Amino acid sequence: MTVAMSRPMTAPTRPLKKRAQSAALWFTTFLLMVIMCVPGLWVVLSAFRPNREILAKPPIWVPTEITLGNFAKIFGFGAEQVGIPVTSYFMNSMVIALTSTVIALIIGMAGGYAFARYRFRFKGGIFLGLMLFRAVPGIALSLPVFMMWSRLGLIDTQMGLIIVYVSLNVPFTIWLIDGFFRQIPMSLSEAAQVDGCTRWQAFWKIEFPLARSGIAAAGVFAFLTSWNEYALASQVTRSTDSKTLPVGLMDFTAQFTIDWAGMCAMAVIIIVPALIMTFLVQKHLIAGLTFGGVKG
Amino acid sequence: MTLKTAKKLSLGVAVAALCAGSAVAQDFGSFPGYTLRVKLIGGAQYEPLYATIAEWEAATGATVEILSRKNHFELDREIKQDIAAGTLDWCVGSNHTSFAPQYGNIYTDLNALIPADVLAGFTPLMLEHSTVDGRLVQLPRHSDVSNMFYQKSLFEDEANRTAFEAEYGYPLAPPETWEQVSDMAMFFANPPDFYGFQYVGKDEAVNGRFYELLVANGGAMFDEDWNPTFNSAAGVEALSFFVDLYEAGAVPAGVPNYLWDDTGLGFASGTVAMDLDWGGWSAFFNDPANSQVAGNVGVIRAPMGSAGIRTGWSGSHSFSITEGCDNMEAAASLITFLTDPDRQIIEARMGILPTRDAVWDTALAEFEASGNTFMTEVFSTFRTSMAEDAFTVPLIPEWIEVSNVMWPEIQAAIVGDKTAQEALDDAAEAAAEIMSDAGYN
Amino acid sequence: MPRILTTKRGNWTPVLLLMPAIVTMLFVVALPLIFSLYTSLTAYRLVRPETLWDFVWFRNYTRLFTDWDFWVAFGRTILFLTIALNLEFILGLGIALLIARITWGQRTLRTIMMFPMMFSPILVGFMFKFIFNDNIGILNNALQSLGLTDRAIPWLVDAKLAMFSIIFAEVWMSTSVFAILLLAGLFAMPRDPLEAAKVDGCNSWQVFRHITLPFIMPFAFIAMTIRSLDVARAYDIVHVMTGGGPAGRTELLWTMIARTGYSDARMGQANAMAYVSTILSILFTWYFYNKLMAARRYMGGVQ
Repeated sequence: MTVAMSRPMTAPTRPLKKRAQSAALWFTTFLLMVIMCVPGLWVVLSAFRPNREILAKPPIWVPTEITLGNFAKIFGFGAEQVGIPVTSYFMNSMVIALTSTVIALIIGMAGGYAFARYRFRFKGGIFLGLMLFRAVPGIALSLPVFMMWSRLGLIDTQMGLIIVYVSLNVPFTIWLIDGFFRQIPMSLSEAAQVDGCTRWQAFWKIEFPLARSGIAAAGVFAFLTSWNEYALASQVTRSTDSKTLPVGLMDFTAQFTIDWAGMCAMAVIIIVPALIMTFLVQKHLIAGLTFGGVKG
Repeated sequence: MTLKTAKKLSLGVAVAALCAGSAVAQDFGSFPGYTLRVKLIGGAQYEPLYATIAEWEAATGATVEILSRKNHFELDREIKQDIAAGTLDWCVGSNHTSFAPQYGNIYTDLNALIPADVLAGFTPLMLEHSTVDGRLVQLPRHSDVSNMFYQKSLFEDEANRTAFEAEYGYPLAPPETWEQVSDMAMFFANPPDFYGFQYVGKDEAVNGRFYELLVANGGAMFDEDWNPTFNSAAGVEALSFFVDLYEAGAVPAGVPNYLWDDTGLGFASGTVAMDLDWGGWSAFFNDPANSQVAGNVGVIRAPMGSAGIRTGWSGSHSFSITEGCDNMEAAASLITFLTDPDRQIIEARMGILPTRDAVWDTALAEFEASGNTFMTEVFSTFRTSMAEDAFTVPLIPEWIEVSNVMWPEIQAAIVGDKTAQEALDDAAEAAAEIMSDAGYN
Repeated sequence: MPRILTTKRGNWTPVLLLMPAIVTMLFVVALPLIFSLYTSLTAYRLVRPETLWDFVWFRNYTRLFTDWDFWVAFGRTILFLTIALNLEFILGLGIALLIARITWGQRTLRTIMMFPMMFSPILVGFMFKFIFNDNIGILNNALQSLGLTDRAIPWLVDAKLAMFSIIFAEVWMSTSVFAILLLAGLFAMPRDPLEAAKVDGCNSWQVFRHITLPFIMPFAFIAMTIRSLDVARAYDIVHVMTGGGPAGRTELLWTMIARTGYSDARMGQANAMAYVSTILSILFTWYFYNKLMAARRYMGGVQ
């Protein structure tokens, strides 16, 4: 190896340059993070302030009054209004998002594996076809879906919305997981099979763990898409039997009064579980770095 | 309304309701074991009324199943979907006078269902607005009209008075005509910190505002043959009001994108001198927790246009019963209950305008007795407007569609892409096409 | 060259594996699609269900071809998509690269990076509508407080600024999607080629350009394709922020379709528009699909 000879050693300047680079790196990252977070943080902060302060002009930058009143209103402790059935909406959202994510992942893994590992007739066609179905604008779908669902008795049921969300997420999960499976060399699976595993066992022992980051990413996207989706949910849900949080949020905004602080409070209730869920899944997003040794 | 007052009021209502329990049973019939399916408009200000549904259930033995509770536009969409899919398997729905004509004949004529003496308790003008093609398709729950809110301190300030009179030649006082509004708006404006006036700038909202000014200037949307006539001189004058204020910077530059929440919150933030707005906002404007101008709000009857007519665009929220309802009496009973005096007073106390003369009287008396000068002033002003100035948009199914071709043109004029006459002419052309497609001429 | 399985005659495994996906899509999407196609050939109006049988053949489509407003909206939508997707890719890539280099507090950083994804599109719309409000919005307030301007900038009214505002909102919402995908791709990258390159004396830029970038391009194209299909979610943002106005300055295909279909209740016409815009989506998808295949061929992977 020519390493040692070809690189001039400039010991004194190197640590300084490295530190400067590191500092620049941190600074840029910090700046980008700030831009990404500021609007969202403003919403979160507004949830704890009265309407009067949020929209004041000249603006009140430092909050003089922090209140939980907005949350109290939502849960029904305010004197004037009945609360919103937030717990029902929350349960619905949770059940629907989790179930549709799990189903979409299973279908996605099956489909992704098929595309990554096999060559078969119409493969390109089916691949493209699945994606093109996704190309249809929601507007064109929403009325027919409503009509079909109402004939099938799926309106205002959790299952009805779950089915819709699965179809929403399947193309993406298939594509993504397919991409990750492709990066895993066949030789690993074959080596395991030589050692006595069946294809099925080899899949779960070798390929599944290695594609973990892709599956986790797909899972996170599917979950967040279902958790935050509004348009189709408002078509298919009606009552607390199946209504999800985003629909509840929109209902909260009456025609005249946009209670901005109240809306922010509702937004916080929607964001926090998603944030927690994402944080928990984070560790699976790093692929096992060990497999990098075999290129195949 | 403070927390304490509201708590007291709710307690009072609860007690009154308990006492009135037996009276309720007498009036509203008996439907044991029946489930009444309803779709209602949702939103913070409408909820307290729905809390009283339990009393009706107790009195009649029926159960109310609320299938949907959404905001207005979503509810409209849902109802249209139901019409399309044929899933009109519910009985009672929230409705609105501006939207009602679109729905065709899905709602039944209440003249045949509700006894005349009950209907007599409503303000006649309200029932008139609720009639489409001679059929009373909805029972009005509450109405709204706009009057001019303003910051009192600005008009009382001596320096302002002297300066204004010097510049414009007449004394500064809350405006009586729209021309005065224009003058005062330009006088007060100090962009970007302060504005003299504001208005909504998109959707049916701006179209409604244009329409009422058109009428106030002596114009009309259509003639007897349903040809569009809003591009007349009166129309150009009306549109020029909006355009001139925008050009002069007397209104916030963002008004082409404003809807009701923007104007309401804008006035509450204390950055606008005058605001033509709905009665339903009055409690919000005077609430220190929500508004910077609380305690400083004055209200005056809507100004007059050049024809001496006051603007008075009005709409009512209402309840309707579907033709396919399987138990019309129960449905009629519920909507009668929800709009009867004891229920309307609950909403009136929050500043929502009632549709019954008797309730106006009671509410005003209550406000006066409790020393709430602001709400007394608001209610007496709005009562006069509702009785004398209020008018609806043309109650035809094509209104929304015509409105949708008009407001982009109105916006184009406001932001200066076209002249007022050009914009209105283009809109008239498109509107004429819609009307002839629909078979009017 | 990695070997792959070829299907012998009668090997139904891949078909079986794909069955659930195909069935789901056919059921939920294909049937409604056919219905929409049918209604686009009628004068169907939502509030008069009997018009469903009122066949007018291609009248809706011919009306579209002479409708100048429609084509302007079409062009504007293409512009919107192109700018938004490119920005999201570049910014997402930048963020992913930066975060990949930092080792301390990775997990927290990744969660923070995904923060915008926690927001429902309608919430994003309302949020930016208020931020960009010219009178009481915090952006103008901040600019004025800092003395950078003495005007109330009409972010949602001026033609160029309004487009900027909605693109900003859309990019804010979706850059995280690219970032997390590219980050996952970076982590899945084998280390060997990188180390070999460094050992051979390549500088960071060369390593990036010739090794990292081609490797993650397939992920990028997947993300782009899905984003371009999915960007109809931007409808919620635009609808809330500007409603397509003022004076049609930010009118995109979806706001036009929604208004025609639901507000005007002209469902037949709206579906015709939807089908034309589907062609647009298909073009984008086709484009990125080909790029994806090309990238895969370049990497010598399975096809």
